[in-house]
Amino acid sequence: MTRERLRVLAWQLLILVAVLAAWQYLTGIKAISKTPGLYWIDPFFISRPSAILERLLYLMSPRVRLTIWQMALSTVQSTVWGFLVGISTGFVAGLVLGRSDGLARIFQPYIVAFNSLPRIALVPLITMIFGFGLLAKIVLAWSIVFFIVFFNTFQGARSVDADLIHSARFLGASERQIMTSVIVPSALAWTFASLTPSISFALIGVVVGEFIGGESGGGLGYLIIQSLGTLNAADMMVALFVLGAIGIVMALGIKQVEARLLRWRPEYQKR
Amino acid sequence: MTPRVRVSIRDLAKTFGQGPREVRAVSPVSFDVHEREFVAIVGPSGCGKSTILNMIGGLVPPSGGEIVVDGQRVTGAPPPQVGYVFQKDTVFPWRTVERNIALGLEYRNVPAEERAARVRQAIALAGLQGFEDAFPATLSGGMRQRVALMRSLVVDPEILLMDEPFGALDTHTKLNLHAELLEIWQAKRQTVIFVTHDLSEAITLADRIVVMTRRPGRIKLIYDVKLPRPRDVIRIRESDEYSREYSEVWHALGEEFRAVAP
Repeated sequence: MTRERLRVLAWQLLILVAVLAAWQYLTGIKAISKTPGLYWIDPFFISRPSAILERLLYLMSPRVRLTIWQMALSTVQSTVWGFLVGISTGFVAGLVLGRSDGLARIFQPYIVAFNSLPRIALVPLITMIFGFGLLAKIVLAWSIVFFIVFFNTFQGARSVDADLIHSARFLGASERQIMTSVIVPSALAWTFASLTPSISFALIGVVVGEFIGGESGGGLGYLIIQSLGTLNAADMMVALFVLGAIGIVMALGIKQVEARLLRWRPEYQKR
Repeated sequence: MTPRVRVSIRDLAKTFGQGPREVRAVSPVSFDVHEREFVAIVGPSGCGKSTILNMIGGLVPPSGGEIVVDGQRVTGAPPPQVGYVFQKDTVFPWRTVERNIALGLEYRNVPAEERAARVRQAIALAGLQGFEDAFPATLSGGMRQRVALMRSLVVDPEILLMDEPFGALDTHTKLNLHAELLEIWQAKRQTVIFVTHDLSEAITLADRIVVMTRRPGRIKLIYDVKLPRPRDVIRIRESDEYSREYSEVWHALGEEFRAVAP
């Protein structure tokens, strides 16, 4: 590691420690020393690092009916499924419509209309249809990811360089070979570029689904809503931190995948 | 005995657009290209020389006249014995050098072993050893165009159409590629139709030069280059014949460059 990177890392750690320490300290000072419950910054609303850690350890222990692990797993599972199904269906739809002017013209208004509908408004309907389980969350994540991938792939399939197709034809490619060797790779480059936003939006979709999904759907969104019901800021913070960690890990993982898949691009070339 | 005609262009014309926006790109032109012949088409930009090449390749339908390649009229799809090198960079960015050159062989289902051998040979011929696994993004423009050239040549096209393939390269790289192209051509003697606006390039490479007028392009003159072969691309420029031929064609071409429409 270079000195520069070490310095950056040191600063980052310092900021983290400072924020946590200030949080812990400020939520411990009473505004008027004798009156209970009056704080400069009230831990009732934002909890305290020590309390959050305590709740985290408790929720990790087998003493609770639904551990934080189970909830996190449920969230991750739905996110990954919604992501994968969204990517594949979005890719196929984008490719087909991108290469067929007729179909694109017919479907265009429906796609635009459906896409401009805020997806959150669909949550109750999706819950009504698919119930309170995993499936509703997957469908919700899918409905967001699908459009991100669809629009990107559609654009990619439309903007395939005509001269690449021509040169393939001169090299003896059949129509099917042009599809597999020129159009699909060109479009995939655009699809891959939509992976990072897709995974973040899949996670958003799942958490929103969990907000109203109830206990059978489980997940960290459920923990958040439950904590709201019991006015438990510590549990809510636990859920937020775990969600944040999941989001970071997923985003980093996808970045790796993207760098591998798009390794031929100038920005991924080693200098 | 004159060698057989491979590409015959008869009263070929092209008009783009319709009505008041109609643009006549190519006035009827006719010429033949023979077996083993290297023909260059030269003219001011916009004279329709690339359009003629695109019509020969079946990429653009003619508005009038016809193109006959080996006795077959060209309609739509490119004739199978024809290869094409574009001016634009058409190397597939997601394929390595090796896999780019292998493209045509893959399309033709050439067995893997033979494919590897032919690709290796092509890479050696183009001096691309050590770059087999490199992606095009890491290569210079000259190297990318070398890959494109070898990709076209590896499938052994009998007729090669080249549309200003070295137009975007610097003089030095261009001269190197001229030498390589001539060496390859000297060995295989493909029929080549080479479009360029660079007269010295045309004289260096070609047996015959078709000089076009401004738009709508007509044939101004067809000039036989008498320089002996094999040619040394550097030395040839210092010879008196070269200078004489250059000034003869330049005189005809210069009239076209000067006569800019008001």
